[in-house]
Amino acid sequence: MEFERLVEEFYMPLYRFGLSLSRKESDAVDLTQHTFLTWAVKGHQLRDPSKVKTWLFTTLYRQFLAEKRRAAHFVDTEEETEFVEPPHFSPSIANAIDANIVQKALHALEDRYRAPVTLFYMQQHSYREIAEILEIPIGTVMSRISRGKAEMRHSLREEVATEARKIVPLTKGGQDG
Amino acid sequence: MDKSEIRAILSAYRAGDPETQDPRFQQARATAEADPELAQWWTEQQELDRVISAKLLSVEVPRELKTQLTAWEKRSMQRSNWNRGIMLAAASIVALAVLFGSWRGPFQPAVSLADYRDEMVSFVKLDPPLELESSQLTRLTAFLEENGAPSGLNIPQGLQQMNAAGCRTLRFRGHDVALICFKRDDNGELVHLFVVDRKAVAKLRGTRADPQFAEQGEWMTATWVDGEHAYLFAAKGTRPTVEKFLGTS
Repeated sequence: MEFERLVEEFYMPLYRFGLSLSRKESDAVDLTQHTFLTWAVKGHQLRDPSKVKTWLFTTLYRQFLAEKRRAAHFVDTEEETEFVEPPHFSPSIANAIDANIVQKALHALEDRYRAPVTLFYMQQHSYREIAEILEIPIGTVMSRISRGKAEMRHSLREEVATEARKIVPLTKGGQDG
Repeated sequence: MDKSEIRAILSAYRAGDPETQDPRFQQARATAEADPELAQWWTEQQELDRVISAKLLSVEVPRELKTQLTAWEKRSMQRSNWNRGIMLAAASIVALAVLFGSWRGPFQPAVSLADYRDEMVSFVKLDPPLELESSQLTRLTAFLEENGAPSGLNIPQGLQQMNAAGCRTLRFRGHDVALICFKRDDNGELVHLFVVDRKAVAKLRGTRADPQFAEQGEWMTATWVDGEHAYLFAAKGTRPTVEKFLGTS
């Protein structure tokens, strides 16, 4: 695929994935740059063009792991298959969610849940692709998505409540007179 | 399969994904659709997932990132008239050099001052969160030191007299950068002091008493070298404004 078209198509989702992983804008930029530079050097070795997307996300994720030197936490292949019931979430709270709140809730997740949940919500990857990117079994992906989503709902509820407390209600003028 | 179990299974469900054609998902889904309470819950869950996805996909991406990425391609196109053999060899060296430049290993080629300045100003334009908010400069410098950022800083007198707002660390092409923010008295906006290892940036000439100034849109920057560190100050305004902040006017 032509380099410019590749950048056009994937730089934003890669940056957002990098931001979710690293929690820092500058690191997300670094990770995105590194991913495309690796493509510039090694991309020609990829034989199957349908794998470009997975290849780019895997490259970014591996680089993140390498930089954090915490690979052991992530390439944990222990099979997790339990699903978790998510906490109750009032539909009215959904209306109060914004991008900032979503980011905070994602950042609050444990590392092992944050990556699959982010990829789930980016809606660009099948479960099988998420499993390939994160190099974990598909059952583990689904279990982590279930658990991660449940944890995220707790954080979202707290974040929405925190934001609501910041809003100072306007008092009606002229009540005393 | 009770309701709690159904909710747990459906929490990992995504319509259309081949993996969720699994009989367990299908059974949970069929049960949920037949039960009004579960059906209502299921509708709300899907709506919430849709909202979260939409918000996540609206997270802003730095505009200059695409420009930076495609610029590499343009640079390589400009080399297309070279002798092919030389070009291939040079391209490999350039690609590897740039690649190493983005790693956090020990071999970090210095980048141009213009690149460093662009990225740091772009960074503060995004209004990044601070890792420590404090008005005590000594607390901020201690925090930076504890977190591996440059230490032993020589902060200009003018800034020392301002109210500190906070600090954070960031990474630039494999180098740790310290960022300290100060609050302006006149409008409450922040001004920013970045400090990085001087080896990270090539061809720095300014000194503390006579910094190099450069305009960046509505921002004015001043850079200088002091000891082992390269300093970059950025604030909205003109050169006299910045000189006043630094106490060099």
